[in-house]
Amino acid sequence: MKNETIITIKNLVKRYPEGDTEFTALQDINLEFCRGEFAGVVGPSGSGKTTLLNIIGSLDSPTAGSVHVLGHEIGSLSHRESAALRNKDIGFIFQVYNLLPVYTVFENVEFALMLQKIKASERKKAVMQALEWVGLADKHKKKVTKLSGGEGQRVAIARAMVKRPALVIADEPTANLDAANAHAILKMMKKLNTELNTTFLFSTHDEKVMTYLDRIIHLEDGKLIKDDIQSPKEYSL
Amino acid sequence: MIAFLLKGILRDRNRSLLPIIIVAIGVMLTVMLTGYIKGILGDVVRQSARFETGHMKVVTQAYFDNMAQLPNDLALDEVAALSQNLSEHYPDVDWVQRIKFGGLIDVLDDQGNSRGQGPVAGLSFELYSGAGSEPKRLELSNSLVEGVLPQASNEILMSYKFADKLDLALGDEVSYLGSTMNESMAFSIFKIVGFIRFGVPQMDEGTIICDVEDAKVILDMDDASSEILGFLPKDRYDKKRSYEIADQFNVSYQETDDEFKPIMLPLAEQGELKSLIASAENMSFIMMAIFLFAMSIVLWNTGLLAGLRRYKEFGIRLALGESKGHIYRSFTLEAVMVGIIGTVIGTLIGVSFIWYLQVYGLDISGMMEQVESSLMLPTRLTAQVTPELFFIGFIPGLFAMVLGNMLSGIGIYKRETASLFKELEA
Repeated sequence: MKNETIITIKNLVKRYPEGDTEFTALQDINLEFCRGEFAGVVGPSGSGKTTLLNIIGSLDSPTAGSVHVLGHEIGSLSHRESAALRNKDIGFIFQVYNLLPVYTVFENVEFALMLQKIKASERKKAVMQALEWVGLADKHKKKVTKLSGGEGQRVAIARAMVKRPALVIADEPTANLDAANAHAILKMMKKLNTELNTTFLFSTHDEKVMTYLDRIIHLEDGKLIKDDIQSPKEYSL
Repeated sequence: MIAFLLKGILRDRNRSLLPIIIVAIGVMLTVMLTGYIKGILGDVVRQSARFETGHMKVVTQAYFDNMAQLPNDLALDEVAALSQNLSEHYPDVDWVQRIKFGGLIDVLDDQGNSRGQGPVAGLSFELYSGAGSEPKRLELSNSLVEGVLPQASNEILMSYKFADKLDLALGDEVSYLGSTMNESMAFSIFKIVGFIRFGVPQMDEGTIICDVEDAKVILDMDDASSEILGFLPKDRYDKKRSYEIADQFNVSYQETDDEFKPIMLPLAEQGELKSLIASAENMSFIMMAIFLFAMSIVLWNTGLLAGLRRYKEFGIRLALGESKGHIYRSFTLEAVMVGIIGTVIGTLIGVSFIWYLQVYGLDISGMMEQVESSLMLPTRLTAQVTPELFFIGFIPGLFAMVLGNMLSGIGIYKRETASLFKELEA
């Protein structure tokens, strides 16, 4: 299953209207990602990293070309079908954690499962397991506003992983963390990637992240510059 | 999901506090004003029925046409037979004869000279026989400021303000001058045995009350009466029933053109009451419409602000796989919950206030002295707690909140998913 292709991008173009003209955010991108990859998209601001991840995550649609994610053609999905795809198969991790501030750690993680209409007893079991993965089971009753930055990001990881998605999209996940927390988070994600065979796609500037990646895709001005397969340099799980 | 949303509402004051306060205030005002109007209307109807209109009133057509002049020359004749007929056809109704008359009261000094005079409005009904229902209906014992109720012929009660103006004391005798039913001069000496205060300006200014049999003798109204009033069981006004009885009665006389034919007027068709009752019945609806509109506008704006503030949250929820439709429905469901909470709070406060007014009332006697009206306006207004007060607030409270949020929530659909998602980057 490791080499099963789960994302296929062919001749992807994305343009946005800009006044009377159009701004090209992505141009002629061709890529494939396999199940279990730990890959990252890097490039300067405005290079198209977030746009690419948004399209893969079915939050946006291509202007031209095709993007197949887990057997779904992103451009032809309805809003409801896109939501269903994200709900079931895609997890998101953000730079600023984006937790729901009025809820507890448990409730934030549980919400993703509530949308799948999973029974309360099963939700509880799954949520506690996800919190075990990130080492926060003992803090499940805490309000997320009372957590440190590193803990907040670990809750976000638990929320993304609790539904056991095939794909996790992580947009600058370490940008707001100190070095120690960043390494801890990355090790955790790498461990989950290995144990659960989940594909991780990062968007990053962070050198620390790059050292953990198996594959780095370089974008510049919306164009694919380089697609490097590399051996991760330093980490111990 | 409902429990999850409820937790969010209770924990996030920005999401709940302001809308709940707005809904509660709007509902409270709706409930208070509705209860207050019901109370005012109930008081006016009760007072008018007791003193003036009954629940139905039988007079001659000619008397009705000149009612303001108290024209006893046009009064009902052969009232014993008419009363019996009414009692046989409508045995559940209490039919009572009342004679109203005008005239002059003259007070003599020790030398027999006039020391004071004043116009008087006389009201007579079955008073000292002890069998009649009128003293109880008019709450005479409670209205007695000083003295006792008449026990014998030619004893009268006088309104305390009138007595004060003429400097009269209990036991004083006064002369009455007026005209009989046959338009000859009526004269009698009355002995004042009690002073009364009804708290109704028209009744407290210049009124004397005597027994109907005394009035018949003085005014030559043997077997005649100005009016026959009908009171429904337990003295409870029932608009529908009063119309039914009046219509039935009037049908039996519709063939005759005799100006002395009896006609029956239901309470709601008498004087200013007709328009008052009609406007009061519409008042609740008008108030609800006003509050519904005003609250919807305010809550729409509140919802818009809340929606803008929550676009980031919507972005997170979209990323987690929630559909726009589901977010919109949960946003609306939250509005239902907030609406219910606000409505319950507003209803409780509003009903408590109305209950307080119902029990303790509001003294407006100072204001009523300035008011000129043919209506029997009470000087102590009370509100009325009715079953509808417990649910009337749900219409503006719930509807306005849900409508406001539904309108503001449309923004969720208007924005592109990626745009909502971009809020996360802010």
